[in-house]
Amino acid sequence: MKLNWLNIKTGIEVVTLILAFLLPQILGINQYLLTVLILMLVFTMYASAWNLLATSGQGSLGHAAFFGIGGYVSAIISNSLGLPVILTIVIGGFFAAVIGVLIGLTCVRLKAWFLAMVTFGFAIIIQTVTVEFSGFTGGWDGIPAKKLVPVTITNHVMYEYYIILLIAVVVTVIIYMIMKSRMGLALEAIRENELEAKVMGINVTVYKLKAFAASAFFTGIAGALEIHHFGYVTPEVYGIDISFWPIIYSVSGGLYTIGGPILGTVVITAIWEVLRSFGMTYGRFILIGLILILIVIFLPKGLISIPEKIRSTF
Amino acid sequence: MKVVNFAHGELLMLGAYATFWIYTYSCLNPYLVIPIAMIILAILGVFIERLCFRPIMGTGKLNEVFLSLGLIYLFQNLAAVFWTTDSRSIHSPFSNVSITIGSINLPVDYIIIIAITALCLIALQLFMKKTTHGRAMRATSQNREAATLMGINVERMDMLSFALGAAFAATTGSLCLITGQMVNPYVGSIPAVEAFAVVIIGGLGSIPGAIIAGLTLGIAENVVPLLMQYSAGLLGLEMSFSAWKDTIAFIILIIVLVIRPTGIFGEKEE
Repeated sequence: MKLNWLNIKTGIEVVTLILAFLLPQILGINQYLLTVLILMLVFTMYASAWNLLATSGQGSLGHAAFFGIGGYVSAIISNSLGLPVILTIVIGGFFAAVIGVLIGLTCVRLKAWFLAMVTFGFAIIIQTVTVEFSGFTGGWDGIPAKKLVPVTITNHVMYEYYIILLIAVVVTVIIYMIMKSRMGLALEAIRENELEAKVMGINVTVYKLKAFAASAFFTGIAGALEIHHFGYVTPEVYGIDISFWPIIYSVSGGLYTIGGPILGTVVITAIWEVLRSFGMTYGRFILIGLILILIVIFLPKGLISIPEKIRSTF
Repeated sequence: MKVVNFAHGELLMLGAYATFWIYTYSCLNPYLVIPIAMIILAILGVFIERLCFRPIMGTGKLNEVFLSLGLIYLFQNLAAVFWTTDSRSIHSPFSNVSITIGSINLPVDYIIIIAITALCLIALQLFMKKTTHGRAMRATSQNREAATLMGINVERMDMLSFALGAAFAATTGSLCLITGQMVNPYVGSIPAVEAFAVVIIGGLGSIPGAIIAGLTLGIAENVVPLLMQYSAGLLGLEMSFSAWKDTIAFIILIIVLVIRPTGIFGEKEE
């Protein structure tokens, strides 16, 4: 029975991957749909990164800070030094990770709500700082960023899609490896009971900082990919909404799992786009809010736990 | 009860709307409408506690964060659907009246606000310290099981806490509205975050701490940008730091929490 289920699961993963590769071919080169798919991929990385941090019991409300730092650093470096975009994206990620460790240091002793407020505040602080240093960042107007694939190439959005898909797969595999490694187990232990984890010889501080660094790194990469897709970056990248989306995706998909944030991103984005096509502006937010509340109350393990629930009832 | 509702600002916004609509349809003195708004919001608070926070009680603090996010999206956009995103305001009947004390010209509205705030805070403090219900509430917050064993109905205390919190949020929202601030579906977020920063800096559950932190933060937010501008001026830089107002609150918050993770007057966690 268990083997069966494992087979089904791998099957679903393989089908998803094949679908992700074929989708642009099936749908044709529809710019709008491709953009939606690209953002979906970026946000699966972002949500998975947020979820990685949440696994250690640290629920950040200000991940947009790292998202934006990755984007700005990558844009500034690629503009001024002329390095290839793929390289600057990684540099942006590293920069976000360094800042992540610094914020992690202030958060090590803090519990749920206090940590949430510090991270939330940090996103606002970094936004103000970005706007103030308008010499580098262009203030509220933002700065242009190089496209991931030059616009001159035909079908450049399609190439962008495949590059981002490749990066997303790599990031997901790395996050999978982290979650399944000793570090992942340590993070879960810390989340369940910090004191007991400490007693078992887990260096809580170091692991929390590692989680912050890894999460900020992947978030920075996701942010850099997004702004290089759009071709510009403005301080709105630090918006409260940007901080909240990965939370909505991860919670609705399934917290502390690898597939959860990905499933959540796909399902919620699909709902979101369908509602958009119906012309709902506020209704979408109401529905998303309702879904979030209902999932937190009735399905705390997220959409990914539905098969488990069905199996346990029969 | 050691539950934090991040969507509290939305209650403030709804309270302001309640005052606005009752005032518009009844033309009562807006100050007399506040108690009605408080009652309406108190009832809403009880509903939120019963329907949303009760089921997730004890399933982890992070779930409260996520639930609050859902509530924020829900309330903000319901308000936007029903009442549009137009900014609305009302005129206080005393808007042109002011009292001159020495060389200071004090609008009557400000005096009333200070009086109502002081009254609310004193009443709350007395309620929490002197009455049976207030003591029961504090006991529930300190130790639920022990409180239950002492015959306290902890679930009723949860409801009471939410009702009181919502009612005070309604008062704040209404007072802001009456003094001429606009109300739209999104006004709640910033005050809620600031209020929470104040509570954290002061220490969760400490009313004197909240008062001291609130006053300090209010002054710092306005003085520090000027100081920064002055010191930048000494360096020969022409910079305005007025945009740093909200930022400074959070910088102070982070500094305080790094030094004392439970806030200035916070109790040590177990």
